[in-house]
Amino acid sequence: MTQQWLPAFAYLAIAASASAIMIIAGLILRVKAKVDEPSKYDTYECGEEPDGNTWIRFHPRYYVVALVFVLFDAEAAFVLPWALNLRELGQFAILEMFLFLAVLMVGWLYAVRKGAIQWQ
Amino acid sequence: MIPVNGEVLQLLLILGAGLFALGLYGVLTRKNTIGLLIGLELMANAVNLNLVAFGRYHGGTDGQVFTLFTIALTVAEVAVGLALVILLHRSRRSTDLDAAADLHG
Amino acid sequence: MSAVANGFAALDGIEILAVDGLLAVSALGLLLVDVAMPAGNKRVIGYGALLLLGLAFAATFTLDLTGTALSGAYVGDGFAIWCKRIFIGAGFFGVLGGLDSTARIGPRRQGEYYQLLLMSVLGMTLLAGARDLILLMVSFELMSLPLYAMAAWGGIGNYPEQKGPIPGMTMPSKRRWHRPAEAGLKLYLVGAVSTVVALYGISLVFGLGGSTRFAVLATTLTGGPLLTLAVAMIVAGFAFKIGAAPFHMWVPDTYEGASTPFVAFLSVAPKAAGFAALVQLLLGPLAGMAATWTTLVVVLIVVSLLVGNLMAVPQQNIKRMLGFSGVAQMGFGLMALLAAGSVTAHDVASRGVRPEGLATLLFFLAAYMVANMGAFFTVEAVAAAGYTPGKPADERDDDDTLPTFAGLHSRSPALALAGLLFVLSLGGIPFAVGFWAKVWVLLSLWAAGFGWLVVMAAALSAAGLFYYLQVARSMYMKAPVGADGTTLPAVKVGGGLLLAIVLLALLTMGVGLFPGPVMEAARIAAGL
Repeated sequence: MTQQWLPAFAYLAIAASASAIMIIAGLILRVKAKVDEPSKYDTYECGEEPDGNTWIRFHPRYYVVALVFVLFDAEAAFVLPWALNLRELGQFAILEMFLFLAVLMVGWLYAVRKGAIQWQ
Repeated sequence: MIPVNGEVLQLLLILGAGLFALGLYGVLTRKNTIGLLIGLELMANAVNLNLVAFGRYHGGTDGQVFTLFTIALTVAEVAVGLALVILLHRSRRSTDLDAAADLHG
Repeated sequence: MSAVANGFAALDGIEILAVDGLLAVSALGLLLVDVAMPAGNKRVIGYGALLLLGLAFAATFTLDLTGTALSGAYVGDGFAIWCKRIFIGAGFFGVLGGLDSTARIGPRRQGEYYQLLLMSVLGMTLLAGARDLILLMVSFELMSLPLYAMAAWGGIGNYPEQKGPIPGMTMPSKRRWHRPAEAGLKLYLVGAVSTVVALYGISLVFGLGGSTRFAVLATTLTGGPLLTLAVAMIVAGFAFKIGAAPFHMWVPDTYEGASTPFVAFLSVAPKAAGFAALVQLLLGPLAGMAATWTTLVVVLIVVSLLVGNLMAVPQQNIKRMLGFSGVAQMGFGLMALLAAGSVTAHDVASRGVRPEGLATLLFFLAAYMVANMGAFFTVEAVAAAGYTPGKPADERDDDDTLPTFAGLHSRSPALALAGLLFVLSLGGIPFAVGFWAKVWVLLSLWAAGFGWLVVMAAALSAAGLFYYLQVARSMYMKAPVGADGTTLPAVKVGGGLLLAIVLLALLTMGVGLFPGPVMEAARIAAGL
């Protein structure tokens, strides 16, 4: 029992100590800035001068693109096992997958036609 | 890989039940629809965990196949939910559930 | 599995899924037509959907759909075929009665509406014969997901905008605008949560039984606390779906907010599908747990009858009233299920009880579909009369309230008569189809030994007559004067809505006068 879970506990310990080390190292190593330094309150952008606010509004188009992506992404979950077992499954599986992809293509055509993935 | 015997299965089921309860708590208490959808996703993942755990316990591929389908179902469900949230946001400028209180009840 | 060897063995018996195949091809075909068509009024897609649904309905009668397919995951029997007819019929009437309304809400977006409706019907027809947990859940979701989108139909409509609080900003016009969105969101939240709850229960069933096939589960499931929990979660999840109290909160809000012809469909087809799923699970692999689930169902029945009948009385919006009345009707459906589940082989042998529960459920669902769709279409006809093209939609707000029915008899005698017929059928007055359905359910429940429940249901149904007759009183005994003192206009119904109401009224009356053959057909479908 303990043997089985050893990797999991090791993983947990490493994860916890890694974050602890980072926080402590940061406390020790970081440049002590004066409190009223204005750049201290800026958004951190990899050391660059921040360009604008973090809290910007994204165009709603992103949501539609994201929705289309998520849906087609999930369908890939069906294609992967199919591809792995294609040899054993035989011709019918090929036919079936093309049928499945054809249905997806109809949806894709619809998305294209409705301008869901059109930029402007 | 850890073989799933009765003992491990029990632990996994408890984890699944905890996840499910956590998600249900989120669904029941969240006022923001996005938070609600996240709670829903937690509940769905509890189902997936259950299915995978049972599938390993029994052997065979039934559990994994079922999980694949539930994942696809949840994705489709959440996609529809997000679309509805966007619709709510467009008409109400808010994703808060209290904004959708025009109908009595 | 031998099916793996050449693969094509998986197609054995696939011809019993001909109707479902037709629906799938129709849905995709209509979407392609929609994509190929130039933007504009797409009413013609509605006619296409109507034609295809009519074909599918005819096919359930002409083709032999009995047998086993998908290596045993799907079984076509009398029950499945009867359910398919209910689903396809509801879809047909849903399209027929909604042609005008759909064209009004979004003339350019009709294609998606009909495509979604066909997809939903496809999910239901697959569900009717599912003998596998995966197929059951996938088809159930295929049914549910389009409904969420359809409930929100018109959430962003072509309504005029108005000035917003900030200069230069425009806001959607008031009220009507976001009602469908809200209706859709409420249906979605409840539906999605209940699906996951049912799924959790089903994952436990899978785990305890070790298979997804019902035939295997029926032998491997033995009982125990975990299975009791699973049964409770499945019953609760599907009770949400069919809108049985205490899981009915979404019903009145969604009914009020969504477009009426869609509600006509929503209030019957998914409910029948929910019952189909419950029958598949509870009378199939979980039949051994009957002691547990019948207790839960009894609770649902009692609460549904109480809440449905009592809460319907104070409702002023007629769609809300029909929503609560639907909750009470679901109580009757559950009573049929209870009767089906509690008559054991021992009862049949020792007391000569006929196990008619399933047959009564099938007959009840058909009767409920006909009357309830008719009632909602009548509401739509009256409400649409207050609509003039070009008038902002929010000015005809709250047009589903009881006062709009005042004096309908003098404004449109035929429509009032049809409305009366539907309401009487829902109320269970003799010689409408709903009467026979209710009486038969009560008789089978009596035979199953739930005398006290029969007495209670009969008493509450009599109380329920009050709100049904309130509508009749408004139509026949009130002057056609609106709340503001103006004379209400005559109601003209035309096109598909008229045809749908006439057909449904004829069915309600015809089967009500001659119930024998249909009841016999239901008995045969239930395998008696």
